[in-house]
Amino acid sequence: MPLTGKGTTSRQGIRRGEKHTGGRALIVVVSLSLLLLTLGTREGPAAVLSGARSVFQTVTMPVRYVGSLVTAPFTAASNIMANLTTDQETLSELRAENQRLVARNAELEEAALSTERLEGLLELQSAYKLTSTGARIISGSSDSWSATVVIDKGTSSGVAVGMPVTDSAGVIGQIIQCGPSTSLVRLIIDENSGVSAMVQQSRAQGVLKGTATGSLRLTLIRTDQTVEVGNTVVTSGLGGVFPKGLPLGKVVSVEKSAGALYYEIVVEPLSNAESLEEVLVITAISEEQRATAEDIAEADEQETSGLTKDDALKPLEITEDEDESTDSDW
Amino acid sequence: MQVNDRNRNRRNIGLLALIALVLQLGIAPAITIGQGHPNFAFVFAAVVALSIGGQTGVLVSFVAGLLVDLSSTGPIGLSALLFSIACYILGMEVRDRIAEEPSMTLIPFAVAALCVSLFYAIAMLLFGESESLLEAIVFRALPSTLLTILGYVPFLLVMGRAGGSGLRGGVTGKHRSRYTLGNR
Repeated sequence: MPLTGKGTTSRQGIRRGEKHTGGRALIVVVSLSLLLLTLGTREGPAAVLSGARSVFQTVTMPVRYVGSLVTAPFTAASNIMANLTTDQETLSELRAENQRLVARNAELEEAALSTERLEGLLELQSAYKLTSTGARIISGSSDSWSATVVIDKGTSSGVAVGMPVTDSAGVIGQIIQCGPSTSLVRLIIDENSGVSAMVQQSRAQGVLKGTATGSLRLTLIRTDQTVEVGNTVVTSGLGGVFPKGLPLGKVVSVEKSAGALYYEIVVEPLSNAESLEEVLVITAISEEQRATAEDIAEADEQETSGLTKDDALKPLEITEDEDESTDSDW
Repeated sequence: MQVNDRNRNRRNIGLLALIALVLQLGIAPAITIGQGHPNFAFVFAAVVALSIGGQTGVLVSFVAGLLVDLSSTGPIGLSALLFSIACYILGMEVRDRIAEEPSMTLIPFAVAALCVSLFYAIAMLLFGESESLLEAIVFRALPSTLLTILGYVPFLLVMGRAGGSGLRGGVTGKHRSRYTLGNR
């Protein structure tokens, strides 16, 4: 019977189509996603979802290695093409030398200024007697919303969440997740990054924050303080996470809006963590690398002196993520 | 044989998933415009949604989104949510067109990729993970969308060369009618 047969086939087809639209599956996964989002916003950093991230990071490490091996020649070729007009060897040497000298210069200036302030100090000591372990960046951020890198050292090498990471030019970031053999480092250019910093020349203290543009913004520097283009920004050591005096970047612009309490300062980072390179994870900070009571008093004075009496009674202007963040230096 | 088709689908999805995983975790970090990276996981999810659609498309896109969330520092579940909704709509609206002309899926895919990026940018702002919506859109969402669309093109070419079969393993006879209304 053609009619029945046709009708039956058509109904089956429709049923099949309805079955496979995925409406029910969508409801289930949307509910699950919302549940995960809720859990993620409510739970602490050491909870289940963070653990899942660490496991995922460890499991996918070989894939990242493969990727870095595949992309390394292309990255190198890209660099060569970009600098085709210059002798590659000379350029590489000069860049390396320049980075080393900038870092060395910041280090020496910091040491010199520190010596001047502490008049009793007779010998010049290195500002960075860092207790650290070497690591290699194996992968960059795979999404567009965070500036992170993965390094090949984890808890099995004594690395832990919160430890600062530097390269030859200065601070690149801080560890925010640790697996047994890998760690995730949030770069200082990440929007959620905040590092207690100061302008080396004027000692003006503020917070260095990442932006979506990839540059850095030095915030909370009052307009009655001195900041000039070209000044070096170093860690202030106030948060107790980063050793004091490590170079962070150079001031590239200083703007003062009418009636504004704080400068708008753009800082160019000294380090470039995009390239795959060796880094140092600072595993311990000595007492002399922490901010002194004098530094803390200076910071307090700097914050309160620019405020009115009423303002002084209010808490400092710390954004929500700075306030809640456990991995931030501020 | 439906069983054979299912097995072939699974094999194809598995292979494509592996390629997408390597591209997403290994290659995407090296490809950048502004602060944006291509989202190969979404490309994978969209290809499955456009080829098979339905329940499989939704579930695969959810898993792909979840893996993106796990590999990033953003809120876990956000990409999974956006991928699932986007791929459900893609699967509903467009999945049969890929069999006829894969290039016709480029515009729906581009719109879906843009929507996912924009909604992600808005969500990041609401979650306090981003400070400026404009900057997030200009420096992250738009470059990411552009690169994701470019990342989709090779998949499109492969599907086109395979005769528009996508992941279904064939376009003739029963295979094709399995996911369409009534008999063709």
